[in-house]
Amino acid sequence: MRATLQEELDRLEEALQEEAELVLRSLRGAIAVLTEQDLELADEIIAFDDEVDRAYLALEQDVEELLARQTPVARDLRLVLASLHVNLHLERAADLCVTMCKLAKLVASSPADPAVVASFREMGERAETMLRVAMQALAGRDVAGAESLVEMDELIDRANRRLVGRILDLGSDPDRREWGLRMLVISRCLERIGDHAVDIGEQTAYLVTGELREFTDASHPGSEDE
Amino acid sequence: MVAIVDPARLLERRPSAQVERPSCVFELRDVSVLYSGKAALKGISLDIQARLITAIIGPSGCGKSTFIRCLNRMNDLIPGAKVRGTILYHGQDLYAAEVDPVEVRRRIGMVFQKPNPFPKSIFDNVAFGPRVLGLREDLGARVERALRQAALWEEVKDRLDASALTLSGGQQQRLCIARCLAVEPEVILMDEPASALDPIATAAIEDLMHELKREYTIVIVTHNMQQAARVADMTAFFSVDVGPEGERAGILVEYDRTEKIFTQPADPRTEGYVTGRFG
Repeated sequence: MRATLQEELDRLEEALQEEAELVLRSLRGAIAVLTEQDLELADEIIAFDDEVDRAYLALEQDVEELLARQTPVARDLRLVLASLHVNLHLERAADLCVTMCKLAKLVASSPADPAVVASFREMGERAETMLRVAMQALAGRDVAGAESLVEMDELIDRANRRLVGRILDLGSDPDRREWGLRMLVISRCLERIGDHAVDIGEQTAYLVTGELREFTDASHPGSEDE
Repeated sequence: MVAIVDPARLLERRPSAQVERPSCVFELRDVSVLYSGKAALKGISLDIQARLITAIIGPSGCGKSTFIRCLNRMNDLIPGAKVRGTILYHGQDLYAAEVDPVEVRRRIGMVFQKPNPFPKSIFDNVAFGPRVLGLREDLGARVERALRQAALWEEVKDRLDASALTLSGGQQQRLCIARCLAVEPEVILMDEPASALDPIATAAIEDLMHELKREYTIVIVTHNMQQAARVADMTAFFSVDVGPEGERAGILVEYDRTEKIFTQPADPRTEGYVTGRFG
């Protein structure tokens, strides 16, 4: 029953997973740029963002048509609404990869700091894993998997805070401070990608349970169950 | 900039009036309907609230029409029909021996799927009920009020003596609603009131229902789920239960606020039906 609706919903989910693959390619590229100072690759990734944007726009259009023609309700409606959010989170994650590549180009003349590079590698790998877990949980309707993202996110946040401490210790040389500031923005980008993965996890929980809730409450820290 | 507002002042802005609790018009407890000894509907328990639109949805044969016919004793007119269980109307047993079914049908009016005006003038159609009940005072004003309430007055005020059969299908259906309103009922039962109408006439009926619920309690049977989603406050999903020997009877599966039924139905059978995957 309702074969067309089901086909269109299946296509929507496939499109999201394909878009996520594009974002993961961007992210892996950005990590390589940061850890290997490969500036040519940075330009490629900046250009590659057009593909993510195309996927994003196509999905938005598909959703608009599906809503207008199929008027989904209940779980179907939740899948469509969740798709809109996930689509936006993926597109934003890709934009963050572009930001990191642009910053990497700006600091190309400064000597790399091995500790900072190691930190980016760790955070980048964690962010990649988180996006993967988020998309797998969505595909598998796996609420526990989605909730596991909160703990993973805590590890990225910690790495980000450690880097902040290190940059603050750089001293007063204006060039080093400018470099440090840019490193902080990059670190923040990686941390934000982790946040987008958590948000995708929240959409999975909404899809399955019908209940919209934030996994963690940033404005009331400590108020959630520990 | 976000202004810092004293929370106490925010509280002041809230309406101080208490929200009026909806009162119960019908209370059904374990209601079954049998036709010649065979159950068409079984074990129905639900409450219907005043001045809300309650929609009854479900597949063919689930007893939707049988259900609303219980609410104004229309099933009495079907030979061999028997209603079991309790139906309270404002706390009073609707099927008690001393209850006059004609009075019941005055208070609880009904509009049918196919507009069924009498082959009389527009005026006489609306005046029919009041005349039968001996409400002859200010008949003209009563007819006008009913036609206005049914959003038909402007279209027919200059030709009240014309035959009702000259009206379009949508106008005929609003005339039937006016005929029902002319005897000042409390409840209006509607059995697929728009399924024979085109989309524009359907929209007019739906707008009218929205107006009428300020004063009336409406129960509507519809096979159009989007219509239920659009107009109803509460929605009851009925389905067909198949017994061990293949006997089929309508049952109530889920009854909740309409938005709940169409976003997070609790029962998988409801979900299957509203998403169109009913197997």
